Amino acid sequence: MFKKIKKLTYTRPFRIIINGLWKDNPIFCMVLGICSSLAITNRVENAIAMGLGVTFVTVATSVIISAMRNFIPSRVRMITYMVVISTFVICVDQFLKAFFPTISEAMGPYVGLIITNCIVMGRAEGFAMKNPVVYSFLDALSCGIGYTYTLLIISIIREILAFGTILRYRVMPQTWTNWVALAMAPGAFVLLALYLWIMRTLAKVEPEK
Amino acid sequence: MNLITPVILMNIILFIITVLLIFAESVLVPHKICKVVINKERVFTTESGASLLSFFTKNKIFIPSACGGKATCGHCKIKVLNGGGPILPTEEVFITQKEKSAGIRLACQVKIKQDIEVYLPEHLFEAKEYQAVVEEISSLTHDIKHFTLKLLEPKTINFKPGQYIQIKVPGTEEFRAYSIASSPRQNDRIELIIRLVHGGLCSTYMHNVLEVGDKVVFTGPFGEFFLREESDKEIICIAGGCGMSPIRSIILYLAELGMPRKVTYFFGARTKKDLFYVEEMTELEKKYPNFKFIPALSEPEPEDKWEGEVGLITQVVERYLDIYMNGRYEIYLSGRYEGAGVLESYLCGPPPMIDAAIKVLTKKGVHIENVYYDKF
Amino acid sequence: MNTHPLLIFIAAIFPHNIALTYILGMCPLIAISKNLKTAFGMGISVIFVVTLTAVINWFVYNLILLPTNSQIISYVIFIITIAASVQLVEMLLERFFPPLQVAFGIFLPLITVNCIVLAVSLFMVLREYDFIKTVCFASGSAIGWAITIVTVSAIKEKLLLIADIPKGLKGPAITMIILGILSLAFMGFGGMVKIR
Repeated sequence: MFKKIKKLTYTRPFRIIINGLWKDNPIFCMVLGICSSLAITNRVENAIAMGLGVTFVTVATSVIISAMRNFIPSRVRMITYMVVISTFVICVDQFLKAFFPTISEAMGPYVGLIITNCIVMGRAEGFAMKNPVVYSFLDALSCGIGYTYTLLIISIIREILAFGTILRYRVMPQTWTNWVALAMAPGAFVLLALYLWIMRTLAKVEPEK
Repeated sequence: MNLITPVILMNIILFIITVLLIFAESVLVPHKICKVVINKERVFTTESGASLLSFFTKNKIFIPSACGGKATCGHCKIKVLNGGGPILPTEEVFITQKEKSAGIRLACQVKIKQDIEVYLPEHLFEAKEYQAVVEEISSLTHDIKHFTLKLLEPKTINFKPGQYIQIKVPGTEEFRAYSIASSPRQNDRIELIIRLVHGGLCSTYMHNVLEVGDKVVFTGPFGEFFLREESDKEIICIAGGCGMSPIRSIILYLAELGMPRKVTYFFGARTKKDLFYVEEMTELEKKYPNFKFIPALSEPEPEDKWEGEVGLITQVVERYLDIYMNGRYEIYLSGRYEGAGVLESYLCGPPPMIDAAIKVLTKKGVHIENVYYDKF
Repeated sequence: MNTHPLLIFIAAIFPHNIALTYILGMCPLIAISKNLKTAFGMGISVIFVVTLTAVINWFVYNLILLPTNSQIISYVIFIITIAASVQLVEMLLERFFPPLQVAFGIFLPLITVNCIVLAVSLFMVLREYDFIKTVCFASGSAIGWAITIVTVSAIKEKLLLIADIPKGLKGPAITMIILGILSLAFMGFGGMVKIR
């Protein structure tokens, strides 16, 4: 029984999921997709929208690229990625505009910037281009979720400290002094630095020389 | 919302841009046919202009890369022997001084502009893959296990005694190298001797997870460390720990040929509980007068009641070579020879042991070109 | 709302620095800011590419997409024009100015996927800049970004020489801290120019 569980940890899907969520987490191990993770995480709702948006685009792109991987000439593959990615980003953008206009307003151009989020392109080029659809799907999904939970953690801390709320519900006492700096860029940078420090120590990421 | 105009427009614009780019490329980029030589033996021809990374991908050689050719991940390191041009500032960030002098480059940044020669680890492109099933697992010592793998597909394997294979760790893209411990004459199955390395990815899997009946995928055979069959020199083998593997393969093979050459095998371990295959080797020793097995312990425990050789294996080798040089060691030397120059030597073990052994052998007059070794 | 183009230019460099207030273009800032020379080359190339693509995209947007009411596809078109023009510039450089290609051209492919290139085009649309303002905003943003990467890499070079950085903090994390402090410093420029 014990061996069976251990054996499970040596299967492809398990490894892919663990890598996306933990060992190769896009943010704290590969340090990709930082721009959006900082710029929009001052509110939890933005972080959820961004995380799900990136997850959706990554999954959809990876599946499509993986399905077409044998037909894409290597010369035009970058352009192919971009067309595919930006098409899905347009979907996300229109979806947000239609159903969550306030979030769409708050995120502004950052929705469009999912296109240049390194995670999407990185998974397409690094994984989907050489793996079958099912694995690419799993890989993209776990990377997307790994990305989303990181955004959530950062945004929860930021929103509590900067506005005293979570999803706009008050959690801190009325006397709480808002840490305005955390809602802005400097706080975001320092907070991410601390997060990276903790996570990289926990996940034992080897620092580059 | 009207979607037809945008879609048509998008296609028109895409088309115009593509045509423009193709036109610009044919006018601006000089077309030249370049040769790409991989590991001195495989020659590809390709048009100039592409990066090495995309060239490899096109030829189904997959180099690790996470960022997709943007020089931000630094994973696609390869060795360019010549024709790569000067190192670019984009690469310098990732490449240490030591790697730089060894010719390491980022494959995504090297453009093919002229004939180019590169070195790739063999498993990246010469991966002949074997499927096998675990037939037997047994413990040799407290931390070393013996595995027998029966080949399923292809059904047989041809290798030279001393070579290694690479086992694919399931669920990952990682490979770990292990020397084959069995004779190449037994070509429908291979045997491996694997030590449990604390925290080691593959050895943990092999020791703690693998069961009889499980499937294993490996590639091979690889390696320049193998028995030189064209020679008829007397052989000295020196091994430590799991270095037993390739040496056992060599000795079993020679035994099957009736031990045509004289072989002395020095095997080093720390204590008696780290010794293995002593019985098997002693059997062979009895059977073939040409073969001599000399196990030695570096730190024997009192309860071991060890009566054999004591000391680092290299010290033992040195003592024996002294006797040999003086012509007194007649048990396995007929006296036909005049010096150690007629010896051929095969070494396998941890790097410090190999380095020390090479020093001893060359000091005693063994020609360095007759010393073959495999460090792990 | 009629801001003077020069104000937009200054604002884009200092108080509204695209890296330090909008947090864009982080990947190259983290990955290749270890070496001052590299950072400088990257900065120059970014200034050039951002300005060029913003101009092209302004024309594409205002002359093609707006009249046909096709703003919905602007993402695809923007990224494609960016990729195509970068590739074109690279080929031109390689053909006619090989020394420039070695010094700056090698950064070009890396810039295609740099978020600030796309971001500048998106901001330009969002804020409905006219042509002059677009040029000012684009070049200003890019110069601001270049200043940031050069500063960060200079600080990092010094830091590596003298500081004993804890293990987990090495690499990207320490870069973020430097950026945080820089960003605080740049907030001080906030009163300099008032634009919306």
